[in-house]
Order: sequence, then C-alpha cells, then structure tokens
Amino acid sequence: MVTALVAAAACTACTAIGPRPWEKDLMARPEMQLVPYPLQTAADEHVYFSKEASSGGRGFAGGGCGCN
Amino acid sequence: MQLKRRKAGRVGRAISAISATLLIATAASCENSAVAQDFYGLDKAGRDNFGPGIAYTEFDGALLIYQEAGGRVQAIEPTANLAIHGARGQQLTLGAVADAVSGATPNGAVPSDRTQTFVTPLKPQGSSTTVTSASGGSTVIQLPPTPGQVASASLGRQYTTAPNTLPMDKGFRDHRAALTAGWSQPLGWISEIGGGAGFSREEDYQSITANVRAAKNFNSDNTTISLDLNGEFDSSFPFGGVPTGLSAMNAQFKPITTRHKTQLGFVLGLTEVMTRNWLMALNYSYDSQKGYQTDPYRVISVVDPTSGEPTSTLYENRPEQRKTQSLFWDNKLAFGPTVTELSYRYFTDNWGISSHTVEASERINLAKSWYIEPNVRFYHQNAANFYRAFLVSNAALPAYASSDTRLSRFDAITYGAKIGFRVSGRSELYVRADYYTQSGDGHPANAIGQLRGQDLFAGTKAAIVQVGYQWKFH
Amino acid sequence: MEIPLTATLARAGRDYLGAFKAMATPCEVRVETDDAELGRRVTDAVEAEARRIEAKFSRYRDDSIIGRINAAGGRKTAVDAETAHLLDFASQCFDLSGGMFDITSGVLRRAWRFDGSDRVPGASDIKPLHKLVGWNMVSWRNSCLTLPAGMEIDLGGLAKEYAVDRALAVARAITAAPVLVNFGGDLAVSGPRTGETRWHVAIASVEKDDAMAGMLELVSGALATSGDARRFLLKDGVRYSHILNPRTGWPVKDAPRSVTVAAPSCVEAGMVATLAMLQGKRAEQFLKREGARAWCIR
Repeated sequence: MVTALVAAAACTACTAIGPRPWEKDLMARPEMQLVPYPLQTAADEHVYFSKEASSGGRGFAGGGCGCN
Repeated sequence: MQLKRRKAGRVGRAISAISATLLIATAASCENSAVAQDFYGLDKAGRDNFGPGIAYTEFDGALLIYQEAGGRVQAIEPTANLAIHGARGQQLTLGAVADAVSGATPNGAVPSDRTQTFVTPLKPQGSSTTVTSASGGSTVIQLPPTPGQVASASLGRQYTTAPNTLPMDKGFRDHRAALTAGWSQPLGWISEIGGGAGFSREEDYQSITANVRAAKNFNSDNTTISLDLNGEFDSSFPFGGVPTGLSAMNAQFKPITTRHKTQLGFVLGLTEVMTRNWLMALNYSYDSQKGYQTDPYRVISVVDPTSGEPTSTLYENRPEQRKTQSLFWDNKLAFGPTVTELSYRYFTDNWGISSHTVEASERINLAKSWYIEPNVRFYHQNAANFYRAFLVSNAALPAYASSDTRLSRFDAITYGAKIGFRVSGRSELYVRADYYTQSGDGHPANAIGQLRGQDLFAGTKAAIVQVGYQWKFH
Repeated sequence: MEIPLTATLARAGRDYLGAFKAMATPCEVRVETDDAELGRRVTDAVEAEARRIEAKFSRYRDDSIIGRINAAGGRKTAVDAETAHLLDFASQCFDLSGGMFDITSGVLRRAWRFDGSDRVPGASDIKPLHKLVGWNMVSWRNSCLTLPAGMEIDLGGLAKEYAVDRALAVARAITAAPVLVNFGGDLAVSGPRTGETRWHVAIASVEKDDAMAGMLELVSGALATSGDARRFLLKDGVRYSHILNPRTGWPVKDAPRSVTVAAPSCVEAGMVATLAMLQGKRAEQFLKREGARAWCIR
C-alpha cells in the first residue's frame, strides 16, 4: 500500500518532457544557471544599453541610468 | 526463532502511519527539488555547490573598465552584489554600483570642411564639469546681456571643432551611484514570489525602479513559467536646463530644469530543461515608455542644400512615447567539460527600430581549477524613422529628428574571452576582455556637397575589461 | 555535481545484479530482466540515490546537513523539506517509544566502542556524555532545528532504511520489472517476481560470516534487521549489546542478538526492529503485542 503510493507519486513525471530527477547532475552545475555571473551580465547589458537602441530581452529593458 | 503475526498494537500502527507519511512526503519533496540537485557537498571539480535547503551567502565583486577608441568615453565601474540565500528558498539581494565616466562624446553635428564653433551653457565653479581651455578645448565667452539675468548666467562656454573632424564635446564628465535591493521566496503553491527596488543617481539624472516577480515550477521542476512586472521613473535635469526640441543651440540657461520619463513593462518567461544536457529559456517582453526621451545635450546640423555646409545647429527632439517588444531565446548546453550558450533576440519598437542579436559563448573547463570562455556577439539594427544624419535648410522641419548614431542603421560585433580560476571550492576569480565595434553607413546616398567627403557615422569602438570575484560562504 | 558511480553489473539467474558499496555496507540491486541496459539504468539510479542520501545525512561529513547541524554550536539551523520530514519522523518515534529511540544518543558512542573487546566504560565516562542526550532538549519547529551546544544528532539509525525505500521508489519510476534493493541486509522489493513467485531472502547468521540462519520468502514490502552481529562488548560473562538505552546511557540488557521485521516499507520495518531491540528481554513480547511479522535470534 505504502510502496504503491510512493511509486504512484514518483511516476507522475514519467512521460513529461525533461530529465528525471536523478539525471539533473549537469543542470545542477553552477555554470548551467541562466545567469551564473550576474555582474558580468549586468555590465554587458549596461554597455549595450548605452550604445544601442535595443535593450532588455533577458530581463527588464530599463536602464536605470541616463546613459542612453 | 519465531515468526509472529498478530493484529497491530498502538505503537506498531503509529509507526506504520508515520512511515507512510515520511515516504510519501519525501517522495514528493525529492521529486520537486530534483534529487541530484539535492546532493550536498563537493562536485567532481571540488566545488561546493551548496544546493536547496542550505543557507548561504554569495558575494560578487567586479571592476569594469570601459575605454572607447579615439579618446572618447572612458568609464570605471566598481560593482558589488550580496545574495543571502535562506534554507527554504528565500533570497535577499543587495547591490551597489558606482560609475565614473569622462571623455568626449559626439555632439551630433556633422563634420565640416571648415572650423565649427559650438556654444553651450557654462557650468559654475564647483561643478564636476568645470572646463578649462587647456583640458577641454573650450573657452569662456561673454553672452550678450539679457534683461533680468544673473551675472554668472551671462557667461557661456564655447568650443571649436577643426575642419574635417567629428564634432565632440570634450567637457563630458559624470558620476553615478546606484543601489538595488530585492527579496524573493516560495509562497504556498507559488515557487517564487518577490520584488525589488533600485535607485540610481547621476549629476543630471535620477532613476527609480521597482519590480515584482512570480514564478511557478512544474513537471518535476523541469518547467518554470515566470512573470516580471517592472516600473521605472526617471528624472532628467540636464545642466543648463532642458532645451526646446529643434530650437537653436545656445549658451543660455533654459527655464525648464527637469523632465520625467516613466516606463512600465513586463517579461513573460518560460524556462524548460529539455534534456539532461539542454536548458532553454524563452522570454517575451513588452515595455511602454512615456515622457522625455530626448538627449538634452545632443544637437543636429542643418546644412545648406547645395554646399552641405552647416548653417545652424538645433537641439534634437524625440517622440515622447515608445513601445518596445522583444523575444529572447536562450540555450545552454552541457557536454563533457564544456558549456555552450547560444541566444537570439528579436527587438522591435514603434520608432521603426528593429534589431537582431545573436550571442554565442563556449565555456571549456580545463584541468582542475581553470576555465576559458571565448564569446562572440553579432548585432544588427534598423534606423529609427526620425533618424537624420542632418537636416537641410530649405526643407520644412520634421516634428522629430535625431542624428544619434545609436538610432541609425548599423551592425555591431563583439569578440571576447574570459579566463576563470577557482581559488577554492567556494571562490572564483575571473577576468574577461571584450572588443566592441560598430559599423554603419558613413557615406549615405543623400549626402550633399562637402558631406560626401565626410564620414557621417560616428559609431563606437570600445574595449571592455572586467575583473570579478565570486565568493560563497555560510 | 556529478556523482561518481562505481556499481558493477552482472547476470545472476533471471536477474541483472548491480553491486556497489555505500554507507559502509555492500549494496545490491536485482532487476528481473533480460535487458542489460535496463539493469544498468536501474543500478545507476539506485546507486545515485544511495550516494545522495549518504552524502546528505552522513554525520562524518562537515558539509552534510547533519554535519552542519552538529557544528552549529547552539545556533539555529534551517533544514530543507526532506530533512524536515526525517526529523519529524524521528521526533514522532521519540514520543512513541517514550524516549527510547533518540537521534541525539550518538554522543554516547564516544564512551562505548563496541569492538568485541572487554573495555566497558566507567560511570564517570558516561555521565557527562549522558547529559548531552535527549531529543526533548532540542528546539525543532518551523523547519529549524536548534541543538544545545555540545549535543549532536545522528540519523544513522534511519538513513539506511530510508535509502532502501527511496532507491526502490527511484527504481520503480524507471521500470515495472521486479526489483529488489538490498543495502546491507535492509531490503525492499517492488512486488512479486514474474509468475507471481516469491523472492527468497537469506537471513545471515550472526555467528559466522557466510552462514545462513534461515530463509524468508517475500512477495512484497520490506525487511529490516536490527542486531548486534559482531558489534558488542563482552566482560565478566556479560554481553553488552550495541543498542544503547538513551535514558540510562548504558546498553540495553538481554536484547536479542538480532531482530528481523517484515513491513510494507523498510523505514517501518527498521523502526519496529529497533524498538524491539530496545525492549531487551521483552523484545518478543513487544513484537507480539504490536502484531509485527518478525524473526528474533537470541
């Protein structure tokens, strides 16, 4: 009874897209975060915001500065 | 030896019930928090990745040095971020940025085969933009007296541009300081809910931002849907006051001192772990900006219809409404010791600008503690519909006009590389360098007279160097 | 964050048998299949789960959640959901057993070293340690645990059985084929073998390494054994079992050599077996009263 319930809970994800929980080793690597170096990303976005007409996409398009 | 089978007693029944509760509850929590991510301790490379359920703090510090070619803008920007992670998914982030910018900026006027002279209001003593004739190439001039004006306002600043040179104002110097704070946490069935605020102050500009965010994970945490709402309220108080759009450039102080801009927008995001190796994110963003979006210092030349010689210089003028949309597609792929990132962004707005951005980087983990990461970025944009390299004196003035090359059609390319070194299991040092070049049409078909011999694209070439340090601790 | 996997895989009768060593004990997983690739997948998943739980709950690792709790020095430690469920379970078992099952009792092992010798500690060794035992002295609320300075917790009496149940759940999520997970004698099966036949499980002898004390037949559920096998002290003809009574700081007297319990889950079987051992000479009486399916060796 107990094991049946456990198995039922574990099987809900069987057919869905994406890896199983125990296949998430690579996703757990810090460099696989979408923004692993926030200050680097912020610097890039700041520079491009002040030199190009497009901004945002990854996040908010606002610049928070008068450099444009 | 004996094998017993009887009706369960009180303790046995209770143990049976709590065992079932434990296993069902942990099955659910293990599914939700991804078993391998729950793995505490050091990875193959000896890094402490912490993980869900562990409270830790991450400090990030970086120094950005930005230098444009041709003695144009240079900037030094130290930044620091502190992220405090709670054991139950709470996160407090605090950030600080300081900026020191100086150098020369193109003022927007076209080059000419003759010497050009520009006048602008004189900053009083004590202001950081005090300019001496030696350093800034400017001289103080006496303005014709105007009734009711204070004495200091009767002085102006004048600078000249040599023949066949891009007119630049060398008196540009500014400081900026910015602070941000944010909080997020899980709440009930919502995987993440939070908000933040930011404040940025320059000598002639102030910006207040606020945002709220909610995200929900599905499908064993393989799918995340998020919504961010963002607001920004900016005040521009340019030195010398806010000029009237398309009025003649002059050295007088303008009566309007401050103009505002508000921006409201959202980002709708989908993040999907596609396979063990592939992470994908898709964002749609919409922003609406209302208010003052003109560059108060930027001018546009009015040229003679036959000779192409500048006859007057007007302040630029941009529409007060801008609506922008973008679609951003990001992919991260992990294979062996490498992580590849590939992204594409399409951007469009109601000013007639549209752009394509493609970015690629390849992180290669080398032996033990080192990694290298070359990167490349391609950017192409179309011009805003009110972009004019110059105006012609016999034609009617348009409602809006700007000669800002950032609103023109151009391509840009960035090459760069990064080197990272793991100092310990919990700290990392990195250095990266990027070279950015814009290339546009310096000789448009509509160039007139002497303008045909000038380079009318005032695009930027810049080197970007950043040194950063990341440190995680309890 | 890659977990290094070491399991070997071999054909064993109708099964593929994966074997590895984790939690200081031999671990095996049997998958009744002809598909070697499936056997490998299940084995790897089971090993990954075992190693995850070992790393997360080991008291020997400074970076495990237990290591962090024990090193907190009187400060509060917030724990994740999985740890919280285990601590809730341990707390409930403390209440149910009237304080006989206590995850704070591990400090007593600094005085009691069950190595088969005659080094029985004196009362003066035990008294200061015994002051550090008592789950009722900790603060456990809102997923935050605060241990008074000097106290420690140890989920060793729980983690192996929990790992068996979790590993079986992981295996069942991969395949419907019959699976048996056995971590050092604590085991669970996913259901009957093909053809509704039973799993045959040998109960190891407490006397000799390879001898068999009996054979059990299992269709579903789990088996767990609590016993002192080779972990005891013998002095003046008195055998001191490795089961310590947290309320006295001394070993439980007249405990069976081993208790094997069958239950729907390994966690349940293990807890009933442990509580039976703690009853000492009343172990059989306890098992009978609680209606457990059990096998005692004296």
